[in-house]
Amino acid sequence: MFGSNLKYPGLNPIPPPFAHEHPPVAEVIEEKCIACDRCPPLCFFDSIVMENRPQHPFGRTAVVIQENCTGCGLCFEACPVDAIVWVADVAGRSDAKTASSSVEDTDL
Amino acid sequence: MNLSTSFVGLNFQSPVMIASGPASHDVNQITLAQQQHVGAVVLKTVCSDKYEHMRYWPRPRYKLLDWDKQIGGRSKYFTLYSYEQGYSGTLEDYWKFIAECKRHSTVPVFGSIFADVAGDWKMLAANVEASGADAVELDISSPHKPGSLDFETTFTAAIAAVVKAVKIPVIVKLAASADVVQQSLVAQECGASAVTLCNRIRGFDVDIETQRPILHGNFAGVGGPWAKYYTFRHVAEAAQSVAVPISATGGAMTGSDIIKYILLGATTVQVLSVVMVNGWDSIAAMHKEIAEYMQRKKILSLDEIRGRALKAMAHPDEIVRWSGEPKSGPRNVWK
Repeated sequence: MFGSNLKYPGLNPIPPPFAHEHPPVAEVIEEKCIACDRCPPLCFFDSIVMENRPQHPFGRTAVVIQENCTGCGLCFEACPVDAIVWVADVAGRSDAKTASSSVEDTDL
Repeated sequence: MNLSTSFVGLNFQSPVMIASGPASHDVNQITLAQQQHVGAVVLKTVCSDKYEHMRYWPRPRYKLLDWDKQIGGRSKYFTLYSYEQGYSGTLEDYWKFIAECKRHSTVPVFGSIFADVAGDWKMLAANVEASGADAVELDISSPHKPGSLDFETTFTAAIAAVVKAVKIPVIVKLAASADVVQQSLVAQECGASAVTLCNRIRGFDVDIETQRPILHGNFAGVGGPWAKYYTFRHVAEAAQSVAVPISATGGAMTGSDIIKYILLGATTVQVLSVVMVNGWDSIAAMHKEIAEYMQRKKILSLDEIRGRALKAMAHPDEIVRWSGEPKSGPRNVWK
């Protein structure tokens, strides 16, 4: 099985176990977020924003805009508290490709 | 301060270009690049239909290794390990993408293409030209390119075919290797207007906890600030051998790095990973540093210093050496 953290299998930026069935996207576990503002600038696809949460201990939390998230894995690098995890991108495209499914041989 | 630079017959307001990649896959990024006064943008590489699978990206596909995690534009060290693929849309999307980039900015825009057979290369290049791109870069050296294509047969024929097929300048992007100078000469002979040195190299890393290769499980492109040292050398060697201008790329993080590449003979310098890690502002910081340097050194144009450090390079035969024998020489006696 992937990863050493069983509760949140995506904590290491390696593909989560469900990656063969669903494209993974990032999600922020709001309870774990410490509102450090590190992940929004690192996201290269404008997919992470800070939102106000009056009930949250820090008053704010990072939120992944999943329509924009390309599942690149970069934000995992920025999070000091491992609050970013992989979830299945149910709305995302699921027509996965491999080289063998689209090209026979690259020999000329 | 005047940073303007002439490259392949085009006038750039700066020698700093955005390299092909995730900072040039979206028309909105052209505006960001323009706000930073970059010289030009090389758009993300589009692959021929045969490589349609390269329009799909594995998730995840990026990891920063050995990163100093200085968020907010202050990182000095990292390795960008990635299995980046090609432009994610269709060919039609790409032609429109070029046209939109041209419509929304005045920054020169280079198309970037990848294929195998010469006919496909020609078709892609002709469409890039027809869509309004200012030049076309042939990405023959991507660390993610499929395996069995080689320079001597496939890519040499591709360069020659593209040069014949289009009127816009053709730039050839080469990989770092012992063959850089030789391949640059071949590209020049085939009629390329410039060479881009050097693409990222293919690397590999494993996770010792899971005992598996990281990310997608295969080799990946690696680059980072450390890549400048071997690229400096490749640029220095090529600059002394080829007549066509050189667009250097690899590990440039600061204005000093840009200046070093120019001192070693490069005309322009392409950056990308620094923008990903430290943000678009990194380019403004580079420009500021270059301008301050020019003022301090009383340089009016970067043309004045281009290749200057090459003239001071020592020939291996002239390197002065001293005996260390009495102090540290053959230590074959136990004391």
